[in-house]
Amino acid sequence: MKITAILPLSVTAALMLTTAASAQTPAREGTAAARTSAGVANWTTYNADLKGSRYSPLDQVNAGNFNNLEIAWRFKTDILGSRPEYKLESTPLAVDGVIYTTGGTRRAVVALNGATGELLWQFALHEGKRSAESPRALSGRGLSYWTDGTKRRILYVTIGYRLVSLDADTGRPDPEFGENGVIDLKKDFDQDLGDLDTGEVGVHSAPAVSGNTIIIGAAFREGFTPKTHNNTKGYVRAFDVRTGKRMWTFHTVPKPGEFGYDTWLNKSADVNGNTGVWTQVSVDEELGLAYLAVESATSDFFGGKRPGNNLFANSLVAVDLKTGERRWHYQLIHHEIWDLDNSSAPLLMDVTVDGKPRKVVGLPSKQGFFYVFDRATGVPVWPIKETKVPKGNVPGEWYSPTQPIPSKPPVYARNGVEEKDLIDFTPDLKKKALELTSKYVLGPVYTPPIISTPEKFGVINNWAQGGTNWPGGSFDPETGIAYVYACGACISSTGLLPPPPGLSDIPLVVGVAGQPVVMIKGPGEGAGADSPATAPAPGAGSGPPRLAVDGLPLVKPPYGTISAIDVNNGTIKWQVAHGETPDFVRNHPTIKAMGGIPRTGQATYQIGTLVTKSLVIAGENQFTTTPDHPRGAMLRAYDKQSGKEVGAVFMPSTQSGSPMTYMVGGKQYIIVPTSGGNASGEFIAYALPGKK
Amino acid sequence: MKFALPLLFVAVGLAGAAVAQDAGKSVWQGIYTSEQAERGSAVYAQRCGACHGAALNGTGEAPALIGGEFVSHWDTMTVGDLYDRVRTTMPQNDPQSLTREEYADVLAFLLKNNGFPTGTQPLDKRSEVLATITITAEKPTGTGG
Repeated sequence: MKITAILPLSVTAALMLTTAASAQTPAREGTAAARTSAGVANWTTYNADLKGSRYSPLDQVNAGNFNNLEIAWRFKTDILGSRPEYKLESTPLAVDGVIYTTGGTRRAVVALNGATGELLWQFALHEGKRSAESPRALSGRGLSYWTDGTKRRILYVTIGYRLVSLDADTGRPDPEFGENGVIDLKKDFDQDLGDLDTGEVGVHSAPAVSGNTIIIGAAFREGFTPKTHNNTKGYVRAFDVRTGKRMWTFHTVPKPGEFGYDTWLNKSADVNGNTGVWTQVSVDEELGLAYLAVESATSDFFGGKRPGNNLFANSLVAVDLKTGERRWHYQLIHHEIWDLDNSSAPLLMDVTVDGKPRKVVGLPSKQGFFYVFDRATGVPVWPIKETKVPKGNVPGEWYSPTQPIPSKPPVYARNGVEEKDLIDFTPDLKKKALELTSKYVLGPVYTPPIISTPEKFGVINNWAQGGTNWPGGSFDPETGIAYVYACGACISSTGLLPPPPGLSDIPLVVGVAGQPVVMIKGPGEGAGADSPATAPAPGAGSGPPRLAVDGLPLVKPPYGTISAIDVNNGTIKWQVAHGETPDFVRNHPTIKAMGGIPRTGQATYQIGTLVTKSLVIAGENQFTTTPDHPRGAMLRAYDKQSGKEVGAVFMPSTQSGSPMTYMVGGKQYIIVPTSGGNASGEFIAYALPGKK
Repeated sequence: MKFALPLLFVAVGLAGAAVAQDAGKSVWQGIYTSEQAERGSAVYAQRCGACHGAALNGTGEAPALIGGEFVSHWDTMTVGDLYDRVRTTMPQNDPQSLTREEYADVLAFLLKNNGFPTGTQPLDKRSEVLATITITAEKPTGTGG
């Protein structure tokens, strides 16, 4: 393990030369307030705050001037690794005029001058085989900031699953933390991972830091074709921010004798894994609770090795911030077999329901339900009804007879694919869609997976990448309205087949009849800076017939939406198609002959939203070339109240992480993490013209 | 591979000569040969298909390399842009591990699968030459082949 670092003069000294930033002292130990003073406004955690809001009260950029935004600076991440990255997902932090972020295939940490984008320092761990073997490579989703008013630290998890504490001023590891600033997260894990290089675990998310407590989750390889059901267990741990000492561990898969163990029949909790928390953790510092949105147990689409409801898989769990003890939990999907794992940071909102002030937690989901609970007790704010769901016929599978379906708010994204969802621009297209789908199974939410056969390849669904994925939602703390992006057309077909010898010990993995079953890789797996060559594949992989009709998407628009969900009354206040209609749809002869169609939005799961005093801001994730602009993507602003688009700014590349905003020197900036297609990772900072 | 070398000599010579005359060339003008796409098919199966799928539909996080979304993603860019993106980053776990000729063959295979016409000259292996060929998602009206 080697360290590379650029260590210039201290950040404070560097800033003195270039900006008028003034340091802020936090009210108490923690992540520091995001308040505005002396022309400085901060963004101090991944989601702007520990409540998951992605909200800033700034309003210098507003409906009246959004179209005047121009690029203030750009920071390319190519040099932060052995090769460029094309999947930049990090949201930077802004603290007193300094930008901190991870970036590059090395997942390096950089400090930048917030006014100019100039590099102040850079730090990286070179982890060799351990990072090459990581299930979660690339630049990650970001990092965290902590201060006690004197010490200032940057905390992040490396590709190889090490927690690092850096001095925010210099980028040097904190010698008092762990071993020379580093904790090996593969150790002290209440389970033996065997070889520390190859033991499967990593994480993309930014640590949650509250008071003196750092909370770290876990993520694994893609669960389509796992090697074993007895995978690593995704325990959640907390560490002391000063020493790195482990404070507590929450067993997301209960150990014998622990609550929930008996929800894994035949003692299957002992031999199943995953069940990690790979998305962001939210914290209510007043209630002293951390909210864990737990993913599925091992094997995304087959649970025959884990009969039972499988707590705490697919649950929202509130644990005591100081002890890690469970205060309440709610399982959103019993015995999950759809890859509908919890993907979004819990949104800790203060709203007024039926005239009473309520502290609630809202959770967006891949399945298009927005779950709302009292966040002190876990009691649903509106009834969530156990509803009978179809039982499948996959040999060896165990099915839950019911699933919890919220009565309010209404479903905000497509969560099933039925005949009514199929393309119907013309009768001919509809006919072709029905012909195509006759080879598949269609159905509503929680239609179970099938064995893939030449007659029925799989279930057409919007599961793995549909609805709301890792970018999660955002909300306005002043109004109690949540703003949530969702993909409505991220469809695929899912069927199951036995794996070939040596691939997996699970009887059924994802496959397509007539095609060889091969390992399916996850986000960034085998793509980091240290990833070596592997032997060529023994043949081509799986791929069902295209789910398209005459080159058009199989399902109706909207392909992607932003919904404003009023959590005061459980209604959808407005919903807009987000994103220009894709070129191949807009320019399709059939669509042209129809005289065009309303904006469709775009099918992607990469979109996070930013909320300001008056706007909801999000970019596009697909390149388009229109009469109005050359090849590129737009950063769009919507009126928060109405959803009306009030501005759009050209981006040379596509948004691939969630935007954030801050102020330095009295000027508001918006940073968009971009990458995709021919464009490698780059942070692009926008601001209004003028020197101010 | 036995025939690759002499063929390439021809290809480089012809394409090199073509640069000056044919600035503004498009993918609709038959810029690769069916033999090249055939070779590319074999390379694809060995080095690309595990992630991008036998039918180029994509699997997991690896995007589809066929269809409207793929083509419009590269609209108005050049074949050189696409070539260098593939050459410098793919296969993701071992970039630049194919020869330039193999990368050109794979590109020919992708072009064929996306409905762009074959021609009589193979794709060049030089990025700067491929950078003179524009990818246009929509077939230009009045252009043959």
